[in-house]
Amino acid sequence: MKSWSVIVFGAAVGLLLPSSLSAHHGGAAFDSGKTVVLKGTVVEWIYSNPHCLLRLDVTGEDGKVSQWVAEGQAPNVIFPAGYRRDSFKKGDQVSVSVEPVKNGQQAGRILESVLADGKKLGRASSAGSDAAIIRREN
Amino acid sequence: MMRTRILILVTGLFIVALGLPADPSAQVSAPGGWMAPDWGAPEIPAAKRKPAPRRNLTGMWAPTGRFGAGTQAGGVQSKPNNRRPENELPYTPYGLELYKSHKALEGADAVLPAQGNDPRNLCDPLGMPRMNHYNLGLSQIFQDEHKVVVLYQYDFRWRVIWTDGRQLPKVVDGGVQIGDEFREQRFLGYSVGRWVDDSTLEVQTVGTMPEDRVWLDSTGRPISEQVRVTERFRRVDNDTMEWSETIEDPKVYTKPWETMKFTMRLHDPRTDIMEYYCSPVEQQRYNSVFANPVSGNK
Repeated sequence: MKSWSVIVFGAAVGLLLPSSLSAHHGGAAFDSGKTVVLKGTVVEWIYSNPHCLLRLDVTGEDGKVSQWVAEGQAPNVIFPAGYRRDSFKKGDQVSVSVEPVKNGQQAGRILESVLADGKKLGRASSAGSDAAIIRREN
Repeated sequence: MMRTRILILVTGLFIVALGLPADPSAQVSAPGGWMAPDWGAPEIPAAKRKPAPRRNLTGMWAPTGRFGAGTQAGGVQSKPNNRRPENELPYTPYGLELYKSHKALEGADAVLPAQGNDPRNLCDPLGMPRMNHYNLGLSQIFQDEHKVVVLYQYDFRWRVIWTDGRQLPKVVDGGVQIGDEFREQRFLGYSVGRWVDDSTLEVQTVGTMPEDRVWLDSTGRPISEQVRVTERFRRVDNDTMEWSETIEDPKVYTKPWETMKFTMRLHDPRTDIMEYYCSPVEQQRYNSVFANPVSGNK
């Protein structure tokens, strides 16, 4: 079982999440400015509207397994960034950075993903690189 | 000597490469011929722009700028809902009351995902004019001598604009009057267009649904069945079209105001558009897996 790490940053990347790119709901539920890096095993990848959802089993250093849910935008929004229906398969070992929700649930929205084959995909809320989006937003 | 030649050759190739126009088609993913939308096409230089065809809007269009420029999640394009004074809306007292009764998931007064009352979350049709304000992406336009038809990407909805000279219906209590007949309110209303010049179609829409069924935008701004929507589709050149909209709704707003003015770019007609439906089953699953848990206290 792969070990997991949860790292919380006061990261600028989170602060720069442009809510205007969201297609369904805004950022009221999210702890803006924080990033949690999840390393774990894919349980399910739901590629559907209004948001894609990734269920991930994350094993703590104490050996306990807890499940996280990471949200992406709708398939047509994240398609240009490379997310496909088969990007995550059950049992894959992946790493996903999320902006966590405020209420303490193990949930967040996807900022970046490293797939089982090492392929890196950007924010699951828009196309293009983060830098390009930030540049355009400013 | 050899090194100098190689250097000259490389430099020459670099200069030639800089001078070559970028080939947009080279950037488009099209496995097996299934062409994906091209969001990175470079701007067409003025010298290479072709003139607009006469009275013809046919094509696959999308807002220019960054991918997602037509999303308008933060409110209609011309007036985002961000508390800035210049974006305050001219609400009537009833309009303001309506706005306060709406619990939106976007904008300055957004609530948590499970606390909203946006009819969109039930997958109800957005209606006009909200169709123009919700994730406006690849929009196809077809036309014949009688009508112009707009095919929206969101929920794969289509809308007819009659251009055959018919009269705009008169809004009456609970519906519209057409000649001697009373007709029902419609989500997309009744649209009539006329060419004001060879490149500009002006469209009026009335007879839409009342304020308890539809919103103006995703931030909960209201709209009523009294609205008259005026759109202008102006084909600037072959590859460029302006799509603007003004609304007049005396029940909700004290004066007419502009909601959007997009510059649209022509996309390759072979582009395959991904399905984008609001599915009640998918929405329900999303609510149970994500929206409800993240909206309550742990």
